Amino acid sequence: MTNDPDMELVDLAIGGDERSFESLIERHYMSIYQLSFRWCRVKEDAEEITQEVFIKLGRKLNTFNRRSSFKTWLYRITINTAKDYSRKNATSRFYEAAFAEEHSREKSDLTASNPIGVKELYEAIDTLPARQKAALMLVAAEGMNHKEAAAVLKCSETTVSWRIHQARKTLKKIFSGWFENGK
Amino acid sequence: MENEELRRILDRLPVPEPGKDAKDKAIQAAMAEFRLQAQKEKEQSKGFAWLDRLISKKTIGGFFMNRTIAISTATIAVAVIAFAVIFSPTIISRITGYKYASVRKEEMKSVNTYPAKPSEETSVTQMEQEKVQPVQVTKKEASGTDASGTPKAAQITTPIVTAEGIAETQKIERIEIAPPAEPTPIEKKEFILDEIAVTKLKGEENNQKLPLRKAYEMAPAQVAAVDNLLVSLKRHEGGGPMISPEYVGRDRFEDIKPNTVKLVSEEPVSTFSIDVDTASYAFVRRALNSGNLPQKDAVRIEEMVNYFDYDYPLPKDRSEPFKPTVAVFPTPWNTGTKLLHIGIKGYDIVPEKKPKANLTFLIDVSGSMASQDKLPLLKNSIRMLVETLNPDDTVAIAVYAGAAGTVLERTKASEKSKILAAIDQLHAGGSTAGGEGIRLAYSLAEADMDTQGVNRVILATDGDFNVGITNPDVLQDFIERKRKSGIYLSVLGFGQGNYNDALMQKLAQNGNGNAAYIDNLNEARKVLVDEAYGTLFTIAKDVKIQIEFNPAMISEYRLIGYETRLLNREDFKNDMVDAGDIGSGHSVTAIYEITPKGSDAQLIDDLRYGINKDSGSVKTAGDRSEYAFLKIRYKLPEESTSREISKAIDKGNEYKKISDAPADSRFAAAVVAFGQLLRGDSFINQFTYDDVINLARGSIKDDPFGYRTEFLNLVRLAKTASAMGDR
Repeated sequence: MTNDPDMELVDLAIGGDERSFESLIERHYMSIYQLSFRWCRVKEDAEEITQEVFIKLGRKLNTFNRRSSFKTWLYRITINTAKDYSRKNATSRFYEAAFAEEHSREKSDLTASNPIGVKELYEAIDTLPARQKAALMLVAAEGMNHKEAAAVLKCSETTVSWRIHQARKTLKKIFSGWFENGK
Repeated sequence: MENEELRRILDRLPVPEPGKDAKDKAIQAAMAEFRLQAQKEKEQSKGFAWLDRLISKKTIGGFFMNRTIAISTATIAVAVIAFAVIFSPTIISRITGYKYASVRKEEMKSVNTYPAKPSEETSVTQMEQEKVQPVQVTKKEASGTDASGTPKAAQITTPIVTAEGIAETQKIERIEIAPPAEPTPIEKKEFILDEIAVTKLKGEENNQKLPLRKAYEMAPAQVAAVDNLLVSLKRHEGGGPMISPEYVGRDRFEDIKPNTVKLVSEEPVSTFSIDVDTASYAFVRRALNSGNLPQKDAVRIEEMVNYFDYDYPLPKDRSEPFKPTVAVFPTPWNTGTKLLHIGIKGYDIVPEKKPKANLTFLIDVSGSMASQDKLPLLKNSIRMLVETLNPDDTVAIAVYAGAAGTVLERTKASEKSKILAAIDQLHAGGSTAGGEGIRLAYSLAEADMDTQGVNRVILATDGDFNVGITNPDVLQDFIERKRKSGIYLSVLGFGQGNYNDALMQKLAQNGNGNAAYIDNLNEARKVLVDEAYGTLFTIAKDVKIQIEFNPAMISEYRLIGYETRLLNREDFKNDMVDAGDIGSGHSVTAIYEITPKGSDAQLIDDLRYGINKDSGSVKTAGDRSEYAFLKIRYKLPEESTSREISKAIDKGNEYKKISDAPADSRFAAAVVAFGQLLRGDSFINQFTYDDVINLARGSIKDDPFGYRTEFLNLVRLAKTASAMGDR
């Protein structure tokens, strides 16, 4: 990658320069933490995930093959770490079904004063299969386009689009009334 | 619902700030992993050491980490290594030819584990720490930095004495010559070890019996390799004594070996550059206030003694910008020696006549600057400074390492609200836009340079020097060039745990500026307000001191402090050699401990066969009454050739009793004693922290800002800390 803004620091860090490595961490700490928090929405867990990501970075930095930008690669590590975390704290399939039932809205329930809450939406996203959640988080929460998300997730752009489509279908079902209202 | 809608809802999630402890912990853990990995790499790929060097140093963005290339070339390297090792009989004989006194058997056991696997690294560092006796190093051991710029630990001379150890380090040496067809003869470098007695060396050509204590010889490249490894292990351990659990010593200081005692008959002339930096005192204060003893290398005695203002008589005017004052009196901690106290006071610029100041702040706004003792403190400090500026003075502000760029274009101090508003805007963190920080700052400074005024860049950081020029040497050169064009640099250090003292000092030195460490608002006020003129306005530059001691009167001397400022004798008159600057109102203090001739406290025996200089003719008149001759060289700020002031030091400057000596001399002696205690210097004998307190207390007369009383407090804190077994 020719215009990776992290390139210089990464070079130095891989060469063994601790200060550069530390600067890399400083530079990206907040973004990784933010993504982690959006993923799990518990401050302590987000901190854990972030820590784990940077530990992995320390361990794996010299395997970075530079085929993507450093940030993309770091995000990939983050998504994977977050997924691991989710797996460990997995909600059972039963719960997901119950959740969907609980939170489905009848058309008539929805009014202007009772829109989908932020938390509800995130919780609903939690029930998605990890891959769909990842795609949705990167695109909808982090604001990446499908191409960028594909780079992080190491899949094709079409796959990303497909996963987003599936995710929205599920969300639609959960918040059926809300969607149909055309909002 | 469109993606936009979805995104808007998701964005509404409030994200709480991550805890500082969590962040610190994450950084520490990541760094530990990073070091571990570097360790592993070094061990697993010793044969690829030269490759790593090639890859990491030379190719920024170029051919990089292409493993296939690495592996194929490495295979060739391995073949060469094998060839080289097999065909070098000297190596083999050295490996097999040693026998060691049983004294070192226990150490041998732990040493034999080198190179340790990462999980056993504690045994290696144990090995380093077991070396309790200071190891004597011959003069051939260079101090300072090695090729890659990491400070060489001058004290670390632990030999790698195992067979495998030598073979491995030999291998490294071979590869760096990369790759020779035949083994080249190894350059010899000697180490003298206190405890090891070698009894026999096979294969030695001339059959000379080795003097006792010479263990073996190690090539310079091996020395570097070992030094690097041990230094990195030391850093892995936290970089210093882990006194309190929360404090991880990631602060960096140059290693300092205290000045040794010199014989006047062999080295009658002592030359050094003055230093007005005060960073060390503030840093020591910070450590003690947190309940820790400071790292030894953080204690620079000259900076501690220079922290205080002394009542030396002022010079009359700018033509001779400073006046030296001297005093000789008995050493508080040694009845057989005396202290020679030299004080220099700089001319005080009268406020009305003060030149215009054009200041450019270059501020580190990386995430780590967010803590209370960093950016917020800095902002308050600058606010205070702005209050004291004259209406025509100007300020510009640039930032780096978080956001990057100009925060405030050059603005007159008369537009105070505009400046204050810009300061308010400063915040730490944010995504980095690869800073051209320092170039930007200097171009801001250059754009409105005033040749009649003072143009200064003030760099404020907690240790992040990613100012756009990453190579420290290139950075130094850049600053030096700019200095020559009239823009000076001062450096302000903040915070703990990331502090890079060595680099700060170097940059300030190169920039004709000073380095200060700001640990609290009082210090900020001192540096940026009370002593702002000193910080900002240079009245003499490249100031060097040279003293010639009279061998008829003095047999030995020892300069206390200034280890990093020593100059060669010939540097004194060489105007190309850079030295420290004196700012308006600054005072500089230096103290020698001198042994009068005939004293039974003399440490070094006279040569039995040396020429007795006493019997030769001595040039100076009155050779029995002069102790020494002091010369000071300096340049006026606008000039490039130096001038000289000189003064004889004789019995007229002497006080027979400590109590007769001026208060300033006694106080300076107390500070110097304190510094030596903190460093654990051996010359301080039985002097205790209580003795320091008594000496200091009796010498405090005027203390308008309370700095001297604060000093007493610090000594008490040190006493407590050391009693609790920190050292």
